[in-house]
Amino acid sequence: MGASRKAATISVPPYRKNQFRLLPYLLLIPSMTVMVIFIFYPFINSVRLSFYATDSMGHAGTFVGLRMWKKVLTSKEFRDSLIITLKYCGSIGVGTFALALILSYISVKMVKGSRIYQTMFALPMALATAPMASIFAYIFSKYGIMNAMLGTNNIWLSGKTLFPVVVFIVIWANCGPSFIYLLVGFRNVPNELLECAELDGVSPLRKFFSLYLPIASPQVFFVIFLNIITAFKSFTMIKILVGTDDSPLSTLLVKLYKYAFERERYETGCIYSLILCLLVFLVSRVQFYFEKKAVFYQ
Amino acid sequence: MKSKYLTHNQRTVISVVVKVIIGLLFISPLFVGLIFSFVPDQELLKLPTLQTIRNTASFNNYKLLAQSLPVFSYLKTSLIDCLLVITVQVLFSSLSAYVFAYFDFKGKNFLFTLVLIGMMVPAQVITITNFLTVRRLGLLNTYLGLAVINFAGGKSIFLFRQYYKTIPKEMHEAAIVDGCGDMKYLFRFVMPLAVPSIASVALMVFIEEYNAYLWPILVARKQNMYTIQVGINQMIRPDMIPPYGRLLAFAMFSLIIPVIAFVLGEDYLISGMTEGSVKG
Repeated sequence: MGASRKAATISVPPYRKNQFRLLPYLLLIPSMTVMVIFIFYPFINSVRLSFYATDSMGHAGTFVGLRMWKKVLTSKEFRDSLIITLKYCGSIGVGTFALALILSYISVKMVKGSRIYQTMFALPMALATAPMASIFAYIFSKYGIMNAMLGTNNIWLSGKTLFPVVVFIVIWANCGPSFIYLLVGFRNVPNELLECAELDGVSPLRKFFSLYLPIASPQVFFVIFLNIITAFKSFTMIKILVGTDDSPLSTLLVKLYKYAFERERYETGCIYSLILCLLVFLVSRVQFYFEKKAVFYQ
Repeated sequence: MKSKYLTHNQRTVISVVVKVIIGLLFISPLFVGLIFSFVPDQELLKLPTLQTIRNTASFNNYKLLAQSLPVFSYLKTSLIDCLLVITVQVLFSSLSAYVFAYFDFKGKNFLFTLVLIGMMVPAQVITITNFLTVRRLGLLNTYLGLAVINFAGGKSIFLFRQYYKTIPKEMHEAAIVDGCGDMKYLFRFVMPLAVPSIASVALMVFIEEYNAYLWPILVARKQNMYTIQVGINQMIRPDMIPPYGRLLAFAMFSLIIPVIAFVLGEDYLISGMTEGSVKG
């Protein structure tokens, strides 16, 4: 028995090309089944449902073609929602990037104790959004600490201050991952280069723009687009701080929630979800384009 | 003019201290939450002075919270849900990653592209149909319903595959020649070696799943299946001022585990995030 196996393995290599093997397919079944049922089918079903009138159970009823699409796309509600979404995502994209850039640049040097503030700057990404939103709801409430500190009597989460306050909070909450990516990018700058720059008396500003930014350019681009895409998906903060009912911050995702889960108008919800998906896709295409053009790889 | 002659060391110390202070300011919302979670509700409807905080501070909010809401049941649901997702996703993704790292077969590239595409579809976009599916399967208010959408993870397949590729292929061939089956090789040899990447995945999945909000509020409709986040959501209603003291106590209670997990596992989390996600 032993001898025969030995002979067999010597003459037969473990991997013969073009030999059909069942095992790889079997091992892929679990992941692939879940992906098909909970990622690919839902996507296709969203497209399908958007052409039907659905009942409250989410079954497709009568085929209405593009009528619902037309109704949504020409509505003022949709236009307002799109504008506020773009404004919101733009503000958060820029703000998060700027904050992460500053925090990572001041943390770039590894010294004794740098771990402490590095951990603190990254911490918000581990904090659940719902409890943090509750804490901020208190801080910015009428009797909250913000009014106490400033000596004002504002109701922050309403009227004109609502948008900047929510954007500020979301920037704080979203900053962690960008901070980490940029920090990793900045730490890629070789020490020899920094020493050369030091010897030549290069100013810190010049060092930042001519050394750190070019070398971290892959991370910089990644982070800019990551933030925009994350902002498209932000929901918890808005739901808890502002609410979903005719809120002044009705982003596309809030509309999706309102139509699909509060009113059981699944087809309208699906249309909003597909538009959201399209926007995310467009942003990734732009990212891809810029990455090819402008990123400097070592 | 003394400052001009500070030694390099002294300057480093000062800069670290300044940055630590900036860091403390940065996470000050947490401290605000912590301090005011000890102040009674009725005091929080005025501007509490330092004096009132000192005089009225107590664990009362926490006691009231535990009496009025089954917070430990929420925590239990959250933790079981996380454990379920982590276990199943690590298992499923290890199997898939092993295939993508070690086998050549027809359709490999196609299937791997599918995994990458699946990673890019925003979860919010497919929520509607997933909700309808889970409801039709009768999985509302079940652990399976909470967890099942995250059983497959493109990110973890990708991460494991990267890691498996660093293990020399010759070892695999040698093991197979010596009569070790593929399954045995994966479970006895590859996975123990890949423990750091499993830790990264487990931590990432934990934070994501523990913090999940939209999906649990759709799936967990009965109080006995509420996760922590659904519980917090239930305390906030648009038409009334929430009992801030208890709300802050709840928030602090819910943040303990993620904060500890993050501080202990920061390195694993960072290596998981940066591995393969950014070129360069």
